[in-house]
Amino acid sequence: MSRTPFDLLDSLQSGASAARELLLGSGVARWEVFAKASLTTTSLDLRGRRSELSAEEIGVAVRTWDGRRAGFGAASGMEPAAARRAVDGCLAARCDAPRDPLPPRRLLGTADPPQGAEAPPRGWAAHVAGEVAAAIHRRSEGRLRPCRLAVHHGTWGWLLLTAEGFVAGHQACSSFLEVEVTGEPGIHGTWRSWQWIPSPGEFSAERAAAAAVDRALLAGRPAPVRSGLADLLLHGEVTAHLLAALEPLLLASPGDDDPVDRLVDRSGQLASPVLTLVDDRCGTSGPLPAPCDGEGLPARPITLLDHGVPRHRVACYRDAVGAGLNPNGGALRLSFRDLPASGLANLSVDTSLGVPPSRLLARAGKAYYLLRLVTPVEVDTGRDEIRLLASGLSMDGGRPGGWHPVVEVRGSLSRLLRGVEAVGTDLHWYQTAAGFVGAPSLLVLRQPVTEGG
Amino acid sequence: MSLPTPSDPAFDPLWLEELAGLVRELSRRTPRLVDLYLERRLEARISREHAGTVGTEVRTEGLAARWRSGAGTVIAARSGVTHAVVREVLGRAFRRLAVPQQRGLPTAELDPPLHWRKWAARTLEGTTRLPGIWLLSRRAVVVNAGGWHELRSPDLLRVRLEGTAPAALLAVWSHPQLDGWMEELLAPPPPKPWAPPSGTRLPVILTSGSAGALVHELAGHLLESDLVTTGISPMGNLEGATVASETLTILDDPTAGDLPGSFSCDDEGVAARPVTLVDGGVLRSWICDSEGARVLGAPAGRGRRATWQHPPASRMSNLVVAPGGADPEAMERDLSHGLVVTRAGGATVDPATGTFVLRVERGWEVRGGRRRRPLAPVHLVGSGLGVLASIDPVLGNDACPDWRLGWCVKDGLALPTGTLTPTLRLTGVEVL
Repeated sequence: MSRTPFDLLDSLQSGASAARELLLGSGVARWEVFAKASLTTTSLDLRGRRSELSAEEIGVAVRTWDGRRAGFGAASGMEPAAARRAVDGCLAARCDAPRDPLPPRRLLGTADPPQGAEAPPRGWAAHVAGEVAAAIHRRSEGRLRPCRLAVHHGTWGWLLLTAEGFVAGHQACSSFLEVEVTGEPGIHGTWRSWQWIPSPGEFSAERAAAAAVDRALLAGRPAPVRSGLADLLLHGEVTAHLLAALEPLLLASPGDDDPVDRLVDRSGQLASPVLTLVDDRCGTSGPLPAPCDGEGLPARPITLLDHGVPRHRVACYRDAVGAGLNPNGGALRLSFRDLPASGLANLSVDTSLGVPPSRLLARAGKAYYLLRLVTPVEVDTGRDEIRLLASGLSMDGGRPGGWHPVVEVRGSLSRLLRGVEAVGTDLHWYQTAAGFVGAPSLLVLRQPVTEGG
Repeated sequence: MSLPTPSDPAFDPLWLEELAGLVRELSRRTPRLVDLYLERRLEARISREHAGTVGTEVRTEGLAARWRSGAGTVIAARSGVTHAVVREVLGRAFRRLAVPQQRGLPTAELDPPLHWRKWAARTLEGTTRLPGIWLLSRRAVVVNAGGWHELRSPDLLRVRLEGTAPAALLAVWSHPQLDGWMEELLAPPPPKPWAPPSGTRLPVILTSGSAGALVHELAGHLLESDLVTTGISPMGNLEGATVASETLTILDDPTAGDLPGSFSCDDEGVAARPVTLVDGGVLRSWICDSEGARVLGAPAGRGRRATWQHPPASRMSNLVVAPGGADPEAMERDLSHGLVVTRAGGATVDPATGTFVLRVERGWEVRGGRRRRPLAPVHLVGSGLGVLASIDPVLGNDACPDWRLGWCVKDGLALPTGTLTPTLRLTGVEVL
């Protein structure tokens, strides 16, 4: 790596200042400058072939509102020419807009900055890759081997300033591990796992190996079909993708036709009382904490589902105004290239009333233990439908039965959400299409199940 | 359509020539400099925001150096395409050699094509279901010991449809069939669709263009050299074996300029040329980057980078299924009971179980050779190799691009790819 995070914030100053000067001279009434730099290092082991990748991305973005038109432009680099290209692009792209998309100054501020993770020492990623490969061999007694092992470490910093003089900045780092293991063809296939490493100093290769191989070791020869109503025990990864598929119910809904209204019951319950969901945007429990959101509104925990009852919706400023909600700092901006938009940052399930996974297993009757998804979860909130294809084990009284490559769960979404009987205590973070989700195992009672494949 | 020839070079040719000399010098040392990769991108978007619109323009550029030593590869990538960035990615090596300075010439900016903004604004006005329309332009150059190689690819248009039945379109901008595809994208779903009982096995006809996702997953990803050499692909040991009917021929063709996966050379500087993957049902070759080509002894030319920040990996371009001689209407008339798929969504091959799943968005139940009831969204499920082998030898004479295929995401990295497929018939697939 050529620069430290502190250098990054220093280097952002020049590009942001150059954009600010250009905007001050442009006559535009309201504007915002966002500059971001990130350094990513990846150590990749592809069956013994090692690659080391270091990538630095840096750029500046501007948003403007001239009383009638709104625009957004971004350009990579931090030299004055980059700032000029971003400003020119923004001014050229302006379109008529009914209202000011930029939040007013009175809403802007920062929460206490979360304590960042420590940066790992040089060479750590390559060392970790070797340790995990050896641990996988031990854990699986040689039955599984890693075919792809990648350790990523990212450091990033950003700076936000507005025409009214608001300035905020943040820097942080994060690491994660991707593992693919293969075993005997026709039995194990290839299993992928993604693991967040909250603290490199406390990383355990043994725990990482367990997360990579334990599910794969449960796979076996396909068992005969058994369809009908069954309890479901969802592995944390399956729970995470299920919750990510609920994103339309958790973000501000711009139209009058709010899907949540159709799905809640008479007492206002969307889901079982055991389910509480929070997007904790400033805490240290998730991978993406920050002092403010992508538009400068202070970060805060947003309770989305409170014991099954919908409470708040994540919204960026323009979506909040459009939906008639109070802005709550729900804008996500992962790169300088992105227009800030409503998005989940650190969605997680409250496990304070959770039960250990072994007790979840004991409480399940005739059940399927769904270990991984075969296709993305499909949710149709308009028709109250869900379809989920997953692989897993059949269980009877807590004891494992056969292995089922394709189990289809298809039915009412609200029935599934209200059928959640218990959440586990085994929360882990997963990467999903809707961002990072902290999810435990979940026990859902009596759902219609079909087998296929 | 042929690939566009830009009027202005994306980078100063004289500077590129000098960089090529530098790379030649460093490629003789250890660690060996493999190449420099320079890229410039434009992403323009017009999106609907609460009764108004927002226009955005994002211009990015970057540069990457790739080194090789023994069994390892090192890549350093940075934002910007300047003399200073070249010095930075070359690290210690530049101290021993003079890095050529750029002339003070203004470089040509990538700009959206004429009429694009008007077309996008007019299209957004006509419907409330489109949140935005994107235009993507990309120019790149690979500099290696053999010189510099300009990568040209078509401007792409991306449209996403939201709501209860989300869908997306990816096509070459100004494709003559674009307006027709937009109409298909915006067509509302049928009011009372029918879903066959789960677990039913039926013959299925995939109309021209709608078999794109099937071919992409089964004859595309499973033949990519990284999946073959790591033992993940079940096709790994099948070179020379019959994997499909004797009439099935599949090429990977990056020179088809009207398909989204086209390029003039790959991201390792290898000139684009078609590769026959399956010839008369027999597996003949693989989709290879230079490393895969070395290991498998197959032609290179499919080392593709998601952006300058990522290393090249073996990725397909445009899969083309050679058409047969059958009249597609006659193929439907011959079906006593089955399904006709007119629009397929995504497909996956589950790496753990080898299960192939194709999501059907639109279609019909056919009885006695006639379309009866519109089809609800269903999944077609089977073993990957089994589904490929179940393609009937009778192929339609009507090859068409699949605008629904969209971006191909592999290991989290998205790239445009295309397909051109005729009407195909699967002899029996399980419906879920």
